[in-house]
Amino acid sequence: MNLLMANILLNVVLAFLVGSILFGLERKIMARIQMRPGPPIIQYLLHTLKFFIKESAFPKTAAMPFYIAITAMLSFIWVAAVIVGPVMGGSLLLIFAIYALHKIVEHNAGSSSGSPYGKLSCVRAVFSAAAELPLFAVLIIIYLKTGTMNIGSIISYQSIHGPLIYSLPLAAAMFFVLILSKAHYSPFAITKGKDIISGYETEHFGLLRGYLMISESIAWYMLLWVFLTVFIGALSPVGYLIGMVALTAVMAFISATTPLLNPNHSIMMQTTFAFVGIVGSILMIM
Amino acid sequence: MEKLKVVSWSMFVISMVGILYALIFNLPDWIVYAVSIVFIPIAILSFGLIQMARGRKEEEEDKRKEPFIGY
Repeated sequence: MNLLMANILLNVVLAFLVGSILFGLERKIMARIQMRPGPPIIQYLLHTLKFFIKESAFPKTAAMPFYIAITAMLSFIWVAAVIVGPVMGGSLLLIFAIYALHKIVEHNAGSSSGSPYGKLSCVRAVFSAAAELPLFAVLIIIYLKTGTMNIGSIISYQSIHGPLIYSLPLAAAMFFVLILSKAHYSPFAITKGKDIISGYETEHFGLLRGYLMISESIAWYMLLWVFLTVFIGALSPVGYLIGMVALTAVMAFISATTPLLNPNHSIMMQTTFAFVGIVGSILMIM
Repeated sequence: MEKLKVVSWSMFVISMVGILYALIFNLPDWIVYAVSIVFIPIAILSFGLIQMARGRKEEEEDKRKEPFIGY
């Protein structure tokens, strides 16, 4: 038996299940803050599975086969992220490249559907690329501090010098804002804002929506995993779980108490965070 | 429709065989990575395409005839 393949399969399934439960937890916490009972924590998981048996049809306006292929693309990149991250402990650069590809998938899923909501989301995805500034800044700051971009080496660095969250708190804050922008209902989630129905996913329903939701669960797990690994260090499985639940709870609190920002404000706010984070971190390193 | 079924089944069988092959036999790491990145997503997608419910033919025609009301 090939243990590497078994390890990959196990990690992908784990990422999907934990990511789904965390999304359900986020909705539950948001509901409780807003004095609602909220859906069960497993609701997101149930929705994902339900979409696979729902009646599916493809819109006449969809650009086939691109409309289907782009959903597979999202899955390819996040399965690759699981391999680069928990399985290999590979380069952080690849994780960030995958994150950039996620943006391209948002753009193309929106444009391939033929829906005006999707197209608006597609335009917002391009627009929000400007808010990726913190992403590259975090990468450079970590490199300046640790001298490496390899996740395994960053973990080793932290085992000697202590967690990076203490020495690079502003970089951690920038990465946190980046993850927040991927949370459902977050103030920065302009590509999926309810003002444009479901954004780039509006015309992807039935099995394709379920398929996208699987990838998004894996993406959520991976973003939290990268944050915990890069800024706190290697944790035990229970440590990771506690960290992910805590981060999701904080994001749920922010999402429940803040409205969706106007796209201009969202980008401006993220770039302002980036500016403060970059200047502050460089001053701290010097 | 039939074409979609044939393509879906072919993709599903090929991807499952690939995953099982990589699981049972010891292959070089890079092949295992390639198999995982390509075949795991394709297996899920093709399973969905096989599994999904389709509307009845006559209903599908009605849906297509529905006047364009949006946008």
